Amino acid sequence: MNTVDPLITDTASRFFADTCTHDAIQRAEDMGGAPALWAAFAQTGFPWVSLPQECGGSGGTLVDALEILRLVGYYAAPVPAAETGMLGGWLLSQADLALPEGIVTVVPGNTRDTIALNTDGSVSGVAHMVPWGRSAEQLVFLDDQQVVSVNVTDAEVQPHPSLAGEPRDTLVFNRAPAQVGAAPDSVNAISFRLRGALSRVALMAGAIEKMSQLTVTYTNERHQFGRPVAKFQAVQQHLVWAAQDAALTRMAAEVAGLGAQDGDAAFEIASAKLVANQAATRATKAAHQAHGAMGMTQEYPLHHYSRRLWTWRSEYGGVQEWARWVGDLAVGQGADGLYPLIASGSSSG
Amino acid sequence: MRFTPTQLGDAELELQREVRAFLAQELPPGSHQPGLGMSARADRAFSAKMAERGWVGMSLPKQWGGSDRSAVDRFIVVEEMLRWGAPVGHHWVADRQTGNVILKFGTDEQRKRFLPAICRGELGFSIGMSEPDSGSDLASVSMRAERGDGGWIVNGTKIWTSGAHQNDWFICLLRTHPLEEGGSKHQGLSQMLVDLNSPGLDIGPIPFLNGEHHFNEVAFTDVFVPDENVVGEPGMGWNQNTAEMAYERGGPDRWLSPFSTVEQLLREVEGTEMEQRACELFGELTARWWALRNLSLSVARLIDEGEAPSVESALVKEMGTRFELEVIEKLVEFVDEELTPDADSLFHRLLAECVLTGPGNTIRGGTIEILRSVAAKGLEGLPA
Repeated sequence: MNTVDPLITDTASRFFADTCTHDAIQRAEDMGGAPALWAAFAQTGFPWVSLPQECGGSGGTLVDALEILRLVGYYAAPVPAAETGMLGGWLLSQADLALPEGIVTVVPGNTRDTIALNTDGSVSGVAHMVPWGRSAEQLVFLDDQQVVSVNVTDAEVQPHPSLAGEPRDTLVFNRAPAQVGAAPDSVNAISFRLRGALSRVALMAGAIEKMSQLTVTYTNERHQFGRPVAKFQAVQQHLVWAAQDAALTRMAAEVAGLGAQDGDAAFEIASAKLVANQAATRATKAAHQAHGAMGMTQEYPLHHYSRRLWTWRSEYGGVQEWARWVGDLAVGQGADGLYPLIASGSSSG
Repeated sequence: MRFTPTQLGDAELELQREVRAFLAQELPPGSHQPGLGMSARADRAFSAKMAERGWVGMSLPKQWGGSDRSAVDRFIVVEEMLRWGAPVGHHWVADRQTGNVILKFGTDEQRKRFLPAICRGELGFSIGMSEPDSGSDLASVSMRAERGDGGWIVNGTKIWTSGAHQNDWFICLLRTHPLEEGGSKHQGLSQMLVDLNSPGLDIGPIPFLNGEHHFNEVAFTDVFVPDENVVGEPGMGWNQNTAEMAYERGGPDRWLSPFSTVEQLLREVEGTEMEQRACELFGELTARWWALRNLSLSVARLIDEGEAPSVESALVKEMGTRFELEVIEKLVEFVDEELTPDADSLFHRLLAECVLTGPGNTIRGGTIEILRSVAAKGLEGLPA
């Protein structure tokens, strides 16, 4: 089984712990970005892990890239790591297009989107909910089997915040010049959506774990009725439930990531996103309840994680979309194949 | 605390294929009424057939009749048996925990006497922990053993004893040394193996809410237990019992109980207009089972690596049994019509049984409230 290089975990953890302080995250929200933090992050080469070096990437595996995303989630790092690397950067490198030096973002896929490649090779239309659109150098999307890249300087940018106050902007293009490259068959709307979902699962795994740990610490420090509130059974229930959802989501993320390294892992990714979405709902509820009023303040950091989780759980597919996806696979296997699907996933019959 | 993903290796997948082939041969789908996971009925002949293949007491050493197989191998056999609803009731307790207790704390004479018979699937064990006044507060057990000639004279009552009317042996936690003033109630307890045919034992049914006979009350009146049936050091039973409880937690028995019911639903809706209506439900349940199974499997792997993952096991059991109840609730909402235990549809019959027995899932082997206390203690000291 492929495992993460521990050096990546150590180095990235140290980087984020030093840079993503409570104040730095808050400042990024207030300013709508964190250019200095991004510059320092780019220096490490981490945003481009898993992209081939010959395209300008940092090399490494998808599992390594997902570990970095897990840590982005764990530290609530206000950086478009997924977009620049395993989503936008991946599309570019798959179509043999060069990776730019700056931030790459993508069109996540919203029903209101009209962005498309014109017959003359330019791009027009609107892309919604574009992560860090305002700070990006290039916007990348798939139009049928073509990877299309446009410069964001050619767009009209309408800034919008996510629930976490991170940029989810609307970009409007009118006959903007574009770079176009043919995508291989394996790169298509479905594989892009699965990859988007996988990126969110990794981020969510980190955020739920951190939220669970914050909750344990807070409830052991906070005293009421003469003892730490963590000693009350009613509070222990919240601690245990949050810890379970942290473990469940991380396991789902890691198993899906390992599967995606060797194959399409559609079952694993769909299942993982479904499980993570539900876990995020339960764990944010438990963590907030255990924190009481303190968790409702901007001053205390819980919201960095809970608000990101509420954002990520609805990006790249909510519970219904993935329940239908996994359900189709399950029903397709039939009764005799149901358990083999649970036990072996994509590699079952 | 860390759950590390693990995959089955080639030999493990081969074992999985063997178990599936065995089940397809012995219990072809449609030929038997599946049980609800570990609540499946007892069938000595079926246990003997599994034992012939080395699948009972399989993690025990070869020296004592076992197969020296890993915890993961046992996980594979158990998950297949339970998801199939196979009748594993007879050997269940011995295979899961009592064999391990005897191996770990017993004498060589006890190992020789009990372990090979357990591995042949012959011995059914009941567990004697709860008493009328001792449930979650287990250390308060008051069943007393007094010294007699060459053994102990036992008086008291055990309760909620599953299968005592069918089984052969009873492993009991009882007090051999009086509670000292100001002393710890964890001191002075012992574990004993009691022959369920001993004179002075009175086994009476406590019918389940649906009238079925699983539970018993077992009353001891001057029951003689010879010294050779005391497991481990007299007075040190609490720690042994705590170690035993760890075997009860986190395995597939804690999340597979309603699986055979869900599988039967799929069998009955396949190709009908209901199939599409059930699609999202199957998706939700399948995804969660997949994730839970990976957590539970990783605990088995930790055990094979020599760890004692008690917090991890408690977390998985608490989550798994709650999920079992969630599955039942979702199935009831899906069916949205009257359930009867004698319905024509096997799915309806199984679901009726799930509804009636489900509340026990989050109680048996330690209530989820107690599990939360165990787990919460383990969560302290995590980094933040």
